[in-house]
Formats: sequence, structure tokens, C-alpha cells
Amino acid sequence: MKMKNNMKRLVISLVIAIVVALLPIAVNNDYWTVVFVRVMLNIIVALGLNFITGLIGQMNLGMAGIYALGAYSSALLVQYTGCSPWLGLVGALVMGLIIGLVLGYPSLRLKGVYLSLTTIGFTQIVTLFLNNMTGFTGGSQGVKEIPNYNLFGFPINSYLRSYYLYAIFAVIAFFIAQRIIKSKWGRLFRSLRDNVDAVEMTGVNIASAKIKAFTISAIFGCIAGALYAHFYGYINPSNYTLDMSMNYVLMLLVGGLGSAPGAIVGACVVTILPEPLRGLGDYYLIVFYGIIFIGILLFPNGWIDAFSRGGRFLYQKVTGKKLAAQETADTNKTEGGGRKP
Amino acid sequence: MSDKNELLLKLTDVSKHFAGLVAVDKVNIGVRKNTIHSLIGPNGAGKTTTVNLITGVLPLTSGTVEFMGEKINGLKTYQIARKGIGRTFQNIKVFETMTLLENVMVGGHQLTKMGVLNTIFNFRGTAKEDKLLKEKAEYLLDKLGMYHLRNHTMKNLPYGRQKISEIARAMMTDPKLILLDEPAAGLNPSERAELVAVIQKSHEEGMTFLLIEHNMDVVMNVSDDISVLSFGRLIAKGEPNAIKNNDEVITAYLGSAFVKDQSEEKNQP
Repeated sequence: MKMKNNMKRLVISLVIAIVVALLPIAVNNDYWTVVFVRVMLNIIVALGLNFITGLIGQMNLGMAGIYALGAYSSALLVQYTGCSPWLGLVGALVMGLIIGLVLGYPSLRLKGVYLSLTTIGFTQIVTLFLNNMTGFTGGSQGVKEIPNYNLFGFPINSYLRSYYLYAIFAVIAFFIAQRIIKSKWGRLFRSLRDNVDAVEMTGVNIASAKIKAFTISAIFGCIAGALYAHFYGYINPSNYTLDMSMNYVLMLLVGGLGSAPGAIVGACVVTILPEPLRGLGDYYLIVFYGIIFIGILLFPNGWIDAFSRGGRFLYQKVTGKKLAAQETADTNKTEGGGRKP
Repeated sequence: MSDKNELLLKLTDVSKHFAGLVAVDKVNIGVRKNTIHSLIGPNGAGKTTTVNLITGVLPLTSGTVEFMGEKINGLKTYQIARKGIGRTFQNIKVFETMTLLENVMVGGHQLTKMGVLNTIFNFRGTAKEDKLLKEKAEYLLDKLGMYHLRNHTMKNLPYGRQKISEIARAMMTDPKLILLDEPAAGLNPSERAELVAVIQKSHEEGMTFLLIEHNMDVVMNVSDDISVLSFGRLIAKGEPNAIKNNDEVITAYLGSAFVKDQSEEKNQP
């Protein structure tokens, strides 16, 4: 059974890898390649946000601020010191660690809408700081001429090259996210979403666990921010808005909260779907959010759940056999219960 | 052999005031090692408050709580849990979107060593650690008769099973003492019998319990010692028979009907 599942995973991974590798070549269009680069960046952010919002269940609306600090820390480090953009990436990682502690701390006492407001406030503070520290950050003019990455003498100076490099980053981010989610840490984060008191009574330091989740989330956001800065070569504070933070939450809602593949599906849908709709002019956002709204209503557990149900249905139709996951779901239904006194 | 007179948990003059309300008033309780000690009393007597004081959920107004000779009041809940005190809750607190096995495995998280970074990159270590956790959780579920339900989502399990799963989760922490806060509340007779069997079996294996319970059948069946609270004050303590025959307790808590039933049972040939 385990071998069969591994085989299934390998086949799916290979198909996805081939699609990802051939997509920009097949499309052969700069505009769409840039859209696909954005997809990769959004995948990294959504995977990070998933730790806080998806697994622990804390609504973080400060991802734009985290992204901005990642972008600025890398860009400014490179500009002021003349170091390699790769060192800038390390700087962004360190910034992620710092943000994790700073933003993780209020989350220990705040929940729900209070935490959401705090994280919105965080983004506002970040953009105000970036706008007003003109001498240091360039103010509203932003930071210009941020250099591209260079991989062993091979400059990443085209859309296509950036796409492949960022796809590798997205794969690494997925691998790390999946390792954590499937481990005892993922289990712990999910249990924190369900009941904090019960977790604490098992001897777990809740504060430390939440700060860990916030830190992982912030590191993912900061890395994506740094990659963004070195792709566009120009950043300014007006890019980092509440809309941007809301979009990341939307990605998780669309894809499926708590799931790494769900975060990827959500990032793809929310980034790509508006593009073909732009022809509708002023009405494209209405249609876009209409589709998203209907999607959430139809698939409350995310599109990834709909995909896996569809996949199981097809598998059953073709082979006449049930998958192990389906059998478990069936036995779950037969036990009955959930009775409360 | 362990000494049954050795005190595992000792509450000395423990008080808790909420503004003008005295919820717990200079309570002295000693829980002996390898015993089942019950804490009884009517609603509002301060039983759950006492448990919350022991586990650090609430700070004490005065007094001391000692566990294995060490003062634990003032410590945080997770620190107290790490000393070896497990707990179940009056209103069950389970991870309802997770499977039964995962619920129990969370109980062992604190005993594992690998940090987040190690978990990402150390494949072999992670697999080994997770295997150990899984085996231990499966062993406990098997012992509690719930192994066959391990892959069921918690919210789909009957209430009684969810209650017993809390005991399994507490046991996963390798505790020396488990505080059971009204474990029989809301259970039907067969589930209650199953619960009593679980408690007795674990007790036989050396576990110490502090049982907070309303159900007198359960209390009288399993307890070695009983302490009785009324309006935050300790009004009686002793062995079940002594408590049964204590006039104040009979009148206030057990009710004369219960004692009458018991004496009729004894008089039957």
C-alpha cells in the first residue's frame, strides 16, 4: 500500500514538474511569464501564511508588511553594502526571524479580530516607516536599480530565467512546508487551532510554539519579498497594501486551509484567474470575486479537497477500487456519535 | 513496592478569592501515591477551581501546592504538566478535527527532542521519533480498548470515547498523577462502566488519580480516599466508608437515599 502511494505521488510530482518546466516555453509570452513568476512568489507567501492562518487558525492580515520588510531588507542591504543579492536573501531571512518574534508576541494574548487589527496595524506602521524614512529607504520614491541574482556566473536577468529560479524556490518552500505539516510540529500547530488549554496541559509551552509558527511564516514572507525586489529591480511602499494581505488569506481560503498543496492551488487560482478576466475592463474584479465566492461556497474545504474528491471518484470509476483514504472516510461515517450531554 | 502513605500531592491552606467571593478556603488535601483520591461536593463547591489551582490555570490567593515534595504554585501550567501532572477536563477539550491517534500523539510532543529545523532536514531522526510516538499512542489506545478507532476523526467519535481519549492523551505525557475532572459526566451506564474499568486498570498499574466526580457510584467504587468540599471549605476527608457514614456529608452531599440503598445492599444475603 505504501509503495503504491509513493508511486502515485511520484507520478503526480513528475507530471507537475513537466507542466511547470514547459509552461512558459509553451506559452512563449513575457506577460504570462511574469504572471507565472508572481504565482511562484505567491506560493511561497501562501505556504508561509498557512502556518499561522491555516494550521494555528490565527488571522494574520499583516503579510504585506512582512513581504515589504523582506523586500526592503534585502534591497537596502545590497544597495548600502554592495554585497551579493544572495547575502540580501540571508538578510531577509534574519528579518523574518525578527518579525516572527515581534509579531508572534502579541498573538499570545490576542485572538480573532483583535489579532487581525494588530497585524493590519503592523503593515500600516511598516509602510509609514518606509514612506517617511526618506534618507534611508528612499521614501515614496522607493529603491531603484536593485540587482538581479547571479547563479555561479549565470545572471538571472530574463523573465524566463527568473521563472525557473523562483520555481525552484517554490519547490523548496513546498518541501519545507510539507515536512513541517506532516511532522509532530504540524500536528501540534493543528491541535493549537482546536484547543489551546488541552495542549498546554500536555506540557507544551504555547507561547514558544506560536512564536515558532509566526517565525516560519515571516521567514517565508520575507524570502518571497526579497525575491520580488530582485526580480522587479524596483520597490516602493505603495505596493504593500491591505488588499495584498487579504489576497494571501483568500489564497488559503480558496485552496484549502492547513494544506500545503491547497496553498499552491489557491496561489495559482487567485494570481492567474484575474488575467483572462481583464478584458472585462472595470467589471473584471466583480466577476473574479464572484467566481471566488461561488468556489468557496461550493468547496468550503478548498479547491484542493474538490480536486482530491474528483480524483478519487475518477480512480474508483476507472479501476472499480476504493483508495485507502476513501475507506477511512467511510468508516468514519459509520461510527456515528459526536453526542454531547 | 511503593509506599502508599507517601504524599504525591499536598495542598496546604490553599485559598482562592475572586474579589469578595471565597471560592476555596484554606483547603488541606494530601494525595497519597498509587491511590485514587476523590474530591467531591455539590456544584459550586470549588472542586474545579481547586484543580485549576493545582494546574496553575488560576493563581493561588494563599497557601502552597507541593508535588513530590516540590512547591509548584507560581509555576505556569505547562511547567506543572512537565513535572508529571496530567489532566482531563470537565467540558471535554479534544482536537476534534484530528484523528484519535493524532489526539493522543499530541500528548507526547513535549517528550520528543527534535526542533523545527531538525525536523525539516533529519529524515531518519524524524521518522524514528514519530514511530516511537505512534507506537506509544497505539499501545495506550490498545490498553484503553480504542485501538480500532485510531484513524477516526475525533468529532465523529461518541462522547464517552472522547472522554476516555483525554485520559489516553494525559497518559501519553508519562504523568505521575492524573487529575480527572468529572470524567463520568454525560456518560451512559455502559460508558461509565468502561471508564471505571479504565481508571481501575491504570491504578493497578501504579497510576495515581485525583478524581473530581459527582457520580457516587463511581466515587465509592474506585476511591481509596475521599475529600469533601462545601462552599470552598473542606468539611470531611477519609476512606469511602468513613465518608459514607459521616452525618454532615450524608445530609449535604450523598443524600440519605444513597446510604439507605447501600445498607440494604449489604443486608441482602
